[in-house]
Amino acid sequence: MDWECCWSREQIEPENCPYIGEGEEDLLVSQRRRIVEKCVECPRFKNDLARMKGAGYPLSDVLPYILTEFQEQKTQMGAMLSFLNSKTREIKFLREVGLVLQTSLDLDEVLSIAMTAITAGKGFGMNRAFLLMTDKDRRHIRGYLGVGPRDYEEAWRTWEDISRSNFTLRQLARDFQKTKLSSEKVKFHDILNQLTVPLADQGHIFNRALTGKKPILVENALNNPDLDRGLARILGVDTFLVMPLISRNRRIGVIIADNCITHKPITLQDMQSLETFAFPVAFALERASLYERLQEEVAKQKAAYVKLREQQELIVKMEKMALVGKITSSIAHSIRNPLMVIGGFARTLLKATPDQDDRRGYLESIVRETRQLEDVLSEVLDYSESLFPVTDFWDLNELVGKAMGELEGALAQAGVHARLELAAELPMVRIDYKQISYCLKTITTTALATMEPGGELRIESVLDGDGVLLRISDDGKPLTQTAQEALTAPFFQTQELGDGVGLSLCKSILERQGNSLTILSRPGGGNTYSIRLLTRKENI
Amino acid sequence: MAKLLVVDDEANIRLLYAQELSDEGYQVVTAGSALEAVEKLESESFDLAVIDIKLKNESGIELLQRIVKERHTIPVILCTAFSCYKDDFSAWLADGYVVKSSDLHELKDEIARVLAKRQRGAYV
Repeated sequence: MDWECCWSREQIEPENCPYIGEGEEDLLVSQRRRIVEKCVECPRFKNDLARMKGAGYPLSDVLPYILTEFQEQKTQMGAMLSFLNSKTREIKFLREVGLVLQTSLDLDEVLSIAMTAITAGKGFGMNRAFLLMTDKDRRHIRGYLGVGPRDYEEAWRTWEDISRSNFTLRQLARDFQKTKLSSEKVKFHDILNQLTVPLADQGHIFNRALTGKKPILVENALNNPDLDRGLARILGVDTFLVMPLISRNRRIGVIIADNCITHKPITLQDMQSLETFAFPVAFALERASLYERLQEEVAKQKAAYVKLREQQELIVKMEKMALVGKITSSIAHSIRNPLMVIGGFARTLLKATPDQDDRRGYLESIVRETRQLEDVLSEVLDYSESLFPVTDFWDLNELVGKAMGELEGALAQAGVHARLELAAELPMVRIDYKQISYCLKTITTTALATMEPGGELRIESVLDGDGVLLRISDDGKPLTQTAQEALTAPFFQTQELGDGVGLSLCKSILERQGNSLTILSRPGGGNTYSIRLLTRKENI
Repeated sequence: MAKLLVVDDEANIRLLYAQELSDEGYQVVTAGSALEAVEKLESESFDLAVIDIKLKNESGIELLQRIVKERHTIPVILCTAFSCYKDDFSAWLADGYVVKSSDLHELKDEIARVLAKRQRGAYV
């Protein structure tokens, strides 16, 4: 029989089968493959089968069954292969993303790879994604980053650019981090700002997803009575996926993904793939944000360490200076008395020596040289005494009167009136007169800086148990906590107090002598500086 | 003749003061410690005391306070090597203050000034 289809021939010419295309020329010489791949679906073959049946071929009734079964199996195989291919792609993609997520400590890198993976065609291919994260005090979930096009125009432009480039997902993410991350952070500012939700609001879909630890697919949101329509309105879509991000039972945040441009349905498979992906993302986000916070803390600690080291060096230097001062002073004192005796008796002898006596010249030399040595000693003592405290009993009221007298000019310049309320019959306080005088003057100057012209500065001295309290109260602006901290931290910069060295020095002077300084800012305005001075020697 | 009590823990300085102040026409009694000074103050009467601030194991200022507290109405001049006291010390308790020096002119002038003040009745 002269068959219409080429199935019976071992070799054929291209014009014998119209279904063999370019690149399939090998089928011309392979009869078996040609039958399996082409003939079984060829209308000419079907015609040949009909002719066989008409001609009474015995297998012509059975062959269509086998053929149908073969075609069904072939279709199933094709579907399975396609599924396998897509899963292979997904695994490859997850591996690629997973590698970055597992190793990266850079929050921006993690964000870039996660958001690119969700929105890129080579990834999950969603049109748009929003990342919301729980804030540091874990009270709210807040919009952090949105990625995707704002409109059709931008969408086509971006997708065209991406399809032209042959970037891998990792390259896409890197490109995104480098060129787009900062602009994307502000692009969806309007939407992100409206997405803040308290973590305590258990009914909200974000919290429901977090509590249930499962993604929630929202469809037909505008007509769904169980849902807050506001969210759909903010997003501008009625179908979206809410994916919880949970790491070690900690609620890290939520990803919202949608197809706002293509309106392609979100399938169960999309949901499952994204769910698998959400776990490493949550973990990586948590780790990267913890690392970021750790880095901030390390930087703070480093700065504190540097400051501490500087202060320690300063203290060591000051202690060395004080020691030098003490040694110098001790030597000077022990030389001074003998020098006074030598010089004094030389003068006595000189007075009794007649003008014409030859020995007068010698005595005059002794007097002159002694005088010179005494002058040198005075200089050394003046210097060394400024380096370490000389404590003794003093009348505090007398000290206050004198120090305030010295500050008359500064008070007048500030337009501030000083009112002294000094208690009578106070016991003597054991202090270094010069240093306490310095402290009072420094505190007064500090107080003046916060006061307005016409203000009043009150200075009081009162008996306080076994001590005496000196209180300086201004009616200026209350000092902030930061400014008050200047007391305990030397070189602390504040707007109100400048570099704060003065007050911190006062505090250390007072404490070294067993006294104390406290600042109290009155809520109604003004500050009170209290110095407590000791009256007993044994307390030091 | 005015009678002075000189308190200093250095024997040579006491000797120098005694010599120099006697030459000025004062009657000089010396004490080497605060205790000795108090004993002398209780048994004799003086017109003026010259006290070293830094006595061995004691403070000249404590002695001064004791003199004031026990109502010895004599004026006191403090001597010391600490020049820093000078600015503030005269403001309270002591009637005069001098920095120790081999040149005793300042001390002599101070004694004369305080005694003149006393003669005008300031301490009686």
